[in-house]
Amino acid sequence: MKTREKKAPLNTRQKRSKDLGKVYPLPIYALNYYNLLHMLDKLKKSISLKTSSEEKKKFDQVFSKLFDQYGKSEDPWGLNIHKAKKSIEYVWPLYNNYFKVRVFGKENVEDTPYMIISNHTGQIAIDGMLISTAFAMDVDPPRILRAMVERFFTGLPFIGAWAAEGGAVLGDRQNCVKLLERNQSVLIFPEGVKGIAKSTPDYYKVQSFTRGFFRIALSSKAPILPVAVVGAEETFPYVYQAKGLAKLLGLPALPISPNYFPLPSPIDIYIGKPYEIPEGLSADSPDKDIDKHIFELENIVQTMINDGLKKRREFWGNVKK
Amino acid sequence: MLKNKKKILVIGAAGGLARILSGLLSKDMPDCEIIGVDSRDLNDLPKKSNITYHQMRYTRGNFEKIFRDNEFYAVYHLARMSHAHSNKTSLTQRLDLNIMGTSRILELCLKFEVRKVLILSTYHVYGALSDNPTFIKEDAPLRASIKHPELRDVTEMDQLATNWMWKNQHKIETIVLRPCSIVGPQIKNSMSQYLTTSYVPVGIDFNPMFQFIHEFDMANILARCLDEVPTGIYNVAPDEVISIREAKKTVGIPFFSFPIMALSPLASTFKKLWNFPDYLLEYIKFGCIIDNSEIKKHLKDDALRFTTKEALELLKLR
Repeated sequence: MKTREKKAPLNTRQKRSKDLGKVYPLPIYALNYYNLLHMLDKLKKSISLKTSSEEKKKFDQVFSKLFDQYGKSEDPWGLNIHKAKKSIEYVWPLYNNYFKVRVFGKENVEDTPYMIISNHTGQIAIDGMLISTAFAMDVDPPRILRAMVERFFTGLPFIGAWAAEGGAVLGDRQNCVKLLERNQSVLIFPEGVKGIAKSTPDYYKVQSFTRGFFRIALSSKAPILPVAVVGAEETFPYVYQAKGLAKLLGLPALPISPNYFPLPSPIDIYIGKPYEIPEGLSADSPDKDIDKHIFELENIVQTMINDGLKKRREFWGNVKK
Repeated sequence: MLKNKKKILVIGAAGGLARILSGLLSKDMPDCEIIGVDSRDLNDLPKKSNITYHQMRYTRGNFEKIFRDNEFYAVYHLARMSHAHSNKTSLTQRLDLNIMGTSRILELCLKFEVRKVLILSTYHVYGALSDNPTFIKEDAPLRASIKHPELRDVTEMDQLATNWMWKNQHKIETIVLRPCSIVGPQIKNSMSQYLTTSYVPVGIDFNPMFQFIHEFDMANILARCLDEVPTGIYNVAPDEVISIREAKKTVGIPFFSFPIMALSPLASTFKKLWNFPDYLLEYIKFGCIIDNSEIKKHLKDDALRFTTKEALELLKLR
């Protein structure tokens, strides 16, 4: 005769594992505290926002070179190498694990200051952050790019100060000239706000470049290094730019999107060959003489983007084939 | 240094910088007579055989008598009324003293054929704005009063002096100096007070860069300008820069971190605790770094004795 066994009461861990095994309808599943924790844990593991000891060693190696190059005190634009290192340590897991950035064309970069120009993508200028991280961590010799930022940006509390400590400077001709004179590489988005504030149908279409950067390059003789970023548009795959409303509210852009947090779209950064500054032109040359070089640079960046789109990785949010 | 220069007038002689300058001139030029003028009490000033002091307002009639009785070789105008101890109610007084007073000094200098006039302005004239480029040159627009109309006297005094300078450049040598923040144990300007006051807020949301010059170095540059610098406008600043947070740490006086953006509405309350003019809140939000290349063309590299770190550390002596 079978004796009926009395079940011992379950402890917390057993309860949790039992709960995990059950298949609940989605709303009940989401409401289950332990399952929710399990989901978040899985997501965290898949993204892995922690830096390994090898990566920490890499930071130390890179920044020992950068400390020698930039000095340990702050520079006149507010760059603080200690804080830049901390920022890159925070950005690195996003760069490496979240956006899974790949850098192509590293061999095109030499040990000389460049004026780096790139297409502007991704609605919230994460492209600048990722290009800067690439040139600090993945390009040899490492360098802190001095990203030229919009005027409204420097007036933002917290963000403006954080960006300045990491190397960003006000996008001003005088700042750009002075930095190039000091042998520093600058990062410019010649499309300006209209590059970043695009609606979905315009993704990966290079907007017309302004002429200012080319005139500075002519006066400083710094070679121009074209860069293309592919994949950042899909961090916000479906966007409508409410331009009229933005103008009414006095905002530089007003994106309307189903997501306001960037999605983990894989991003590729392509570094092109340096564009040598033409002889016989000066910073005061007429627009018509300068424009043909501007169009050429626009074409170079557009071609790099088109080639990059053919090789990009699969992501469900990819909107342009 | 100076042989044939008989008399030098220092206006604003009771100020910390003028006090050091008078001492330097007296030591470097023992044959010269230095006359100091100020409306403030002059009894505490150091007594030297070749320095005499007169307590008077330079907007009054007897001020002209000083010019009539003395044939001045040079005049130092260091009498700009600071905003450190003033509020909006005294704007009229500052406008009167800084603009009308300066105009009167310049008229008298021309009338009595003074050879050289040296006017102390300030870097504040450029304004602290988020879109300031780094290394502002002397020909940049003076935008200080865009956000803070109470700075009108500072910009107007500077413009008055510079317009007058170019107009009369063939008759009289004029130098307008726009120094960065002058700090030191004897200086009582707003920035020195901010740096040496305990438990004042330092921004966590903004951390602008600053240039600081020690009071002795500034006085020394003023003295050297007499012989070595020609007519013109000159920014005066060291090459070194430091963020406001690092500067406060270097001074070593306790402070607390606070968002500056939340401070403006509280400014009226804070003003009761420490004398900090409203406009200076902008200067601890946004940088105003000036270009020193013009003055460096005339003064040698050894113009500065104190590094920024030393200048800030010496503030502890206050």
